[in-house]
Amino acid sequence: MEYISLFVKSIFVDNMIFAYFLGMCSYLAVSKNVKTAAGLGVAVIFVLLVTLPINYLLNKYVLAPDALIKGVDLSFLSFIIFIAVIAAIVQIVEMVVEKFSPSLYSALGIFLPLIAVNCAILGGSLFMQQKDFANVGESAVYALGSGIGWFLAIVSLAAIREKMAYSKVPAPLKGLGITFITVGLMAIAMMTFMGISL
Amino acid sequence: MDAKLKETILNPIFKGNPITVLVLGICSSLAVTVTLKGALVMALSVIVVCGISSLILSLLRNTIPSRVRIIVQLVVVAMMVILVDQVLKSFEATYAIDKQLSVYIGLIITNCIVMGRIEAFALGNKPWPSFLDGVANGAGYGMILIIVAFFRELLGSGTLFGVDILNWLGYVPNNLVILPPFALILLGCIVWVQRSIQKDLQEK
Amino acid sequence: MNTNSNTYTVIYTTIIVTLVAAILAFVSQGLKAKQEANEKADTISQMLTAAKFATKAELQKSGNTAVLAKYDEQIEQAFTVGVDGKKIADLERGKVFSPKDLKKQNYKIKDGSDAEIPVFIFKNGTTVVPVYGAGLWGPVWGYIAFEPGSTTIKGAYFDHESETAGLGAKIKDDPAFQAEFEGEKADFTTANVFDIVKGGAPKNPDGKSVTDNMIDAITGATMTSNGLDAAIDTWLGAYSAYFKGAVNNKTEEE
Repeated sequence: MEYISLFVKSIFVDNMIFAYFLGMCSYLAVSKNVKTAAGLGVAVIFVLLVTLPINYLLNKYVLAPDALIKGVDLSFLSFIIFIAVIAAIVQIVEMVVEKFSPSLYSALGIFLPLIAVNCAILGGSLFMQQKDFANVGESAVYALGSGIGWFLAIVSLAAIREKMAYSKVPAPLKGLGITFITVGLMAIAMMTFMGISL
Repeated sequence: MDAKLKETILNPIFKGNPITVLVLGICSSLAVTVTLKGALVMALSVIVVCGISSLILSLLRNTIPSRVRIIVQLVVVAMMVILVDQVLKSFEATYAIDKQLSVYIGLIITNCIVMGRIEAFALGNKPWPSFLDGVANGAGYGMILIIVAFFRELLGSGTLFGVDILNWLGYVPNNLVILPPFALILLGCIVWVQRSIQKDLQEK
Repeated sequence: MNTNSNTYTVIYTTIIVTLVAAILAFVSQGLKAKQEANEKADTISQMLTAAKFATKAELQKSGNTAVLAKYDEQIEQAFTVGVDGKKIADLERGKVFSPKDLKKQNYKIKDGSDAEIPVFIFKNGTTVVPVYGAGLWGPVWGYIAFEPGSTTIKGAYFDHESETAGLGAKIKDDPAFQAEFEGEKADFTTANVFDIVKGGAPKNPDGKSVTDNMIDAITGATMTSNGLDAAIDTWLGAYSAYFKGAVNNKTEEE
């Protein structure tokens, strides 16, 4: 039950895009059509799902106060360790996928390098540290939920932008401006989930 | 000052503003614009991180092996971010603000502006212009943060820097303005105004 | 020099990483004392605010040294108790529980294992105890001060890590919300020690709440209010044995 509530909460209530604005850069840049948006979304789910449990274990057994050596608090290194893990994992994942599944690689390939600097990934790790999950399972569920939340957000924005191409938008608002406002309105709609108790 | 250097400084603040024109660095920014004070500290932190990491990497630019370029950049930027975080935590005056900004300070690492300017400018230019470029981009980013924060704090809490401005007139703070979505709508409006003035930026 | 050879790459990366780690370790060690002092002064000023010695803004203005001096001057005794209400150990002079310490104890209370929770008694008899729990986005915590030897609340102060500014953050920023606690009574006989009621506590025609242990939730911040309510119930619940004992002793003495 805990897992299900955490899962639903991380998709809808704590949505990476609508509640925290994380991963906004690539969210706005790669949401022009649904197909590429979906590709990036899947890549984000994948990388979150791999990096979060690893960072969870590192945080718990290496970085937390007294974890590695008694009396030593390494938590000041957490940013650097997390980002190093993410960068390394993205590289490894890219190589593995290229070797074993060329079709998946051609689908995800171009998005993987982009992801190392996607704030949603580092944000996931930092929030995970802040939320203080009880075990690896919870961190994995949180990663999956956040990833799916991000995926849904980018696919729905891409769908709206495809339709918006046919609308008459004032010239200065075209492109970036109207996209900001659209995301804002979507976020307001998503806030209705905030009241649900899980 | 020669014209090129001047262009380096002024361009990011208006015409090539990292947020409203290049769409970089929105990630970690909008959640900190609820109060003007938070936005100001965030803006200063980004200016410092962006300027100094550009300077360091520009000094190192001829020695960095190209294969580990990204990792070296990340390490230097992460170091700067940690230093800023540690320093903010150490002063009595900034401790409370650091607490309020919490994880968003850490997210400066993945702020695309910092990495983007290093990759695009610092690795190919001399240290002094790189430093100015970093500072100017940080300032362009900070300016948008402060504009957004100004409206959000004024309309959302009726205060500026925590000082009562509108409430004593009987203004009822608008809760919508405080919620995250409004920051995006406000940003959309800023883009609208900017592109009405600078027509060449309009998209087709 | 060939900057793309393997040896060069490896040596270069090693040097950079070592250098950065060394700089960071050095800075973090150097600033640690200051950071801890800030955190401690922050915690102490929250307790002093709850116990009505001064307001948080005044304490913040007066600086860390003055805050510590004030605490040192006013504190009578500080010790930890178990959930059975028995005293476990005295706290070192000047030692307080940081939010991190509270978090650890929060797990223990929920697990039902041996929690060691702190009680702070000031010279004027005011007893201050902490509460800790989860708000909407992150942890919420705070301090509740009780009148000498009774279950009447003297004052309260709450803090949070990342509640929505202007809504959930009101638990910290809105003195009116904290003032609501004053004069209320914690009911240690039930599991529902204290209630923060959405839509307003039920009131008698004279405008006073029907029961003494209820206050109004913050409009627009239901999840934060619920989280704080749960935190207070959990923690005051853990203190109930202690308070029952303390209040009974007091009556016998009198």
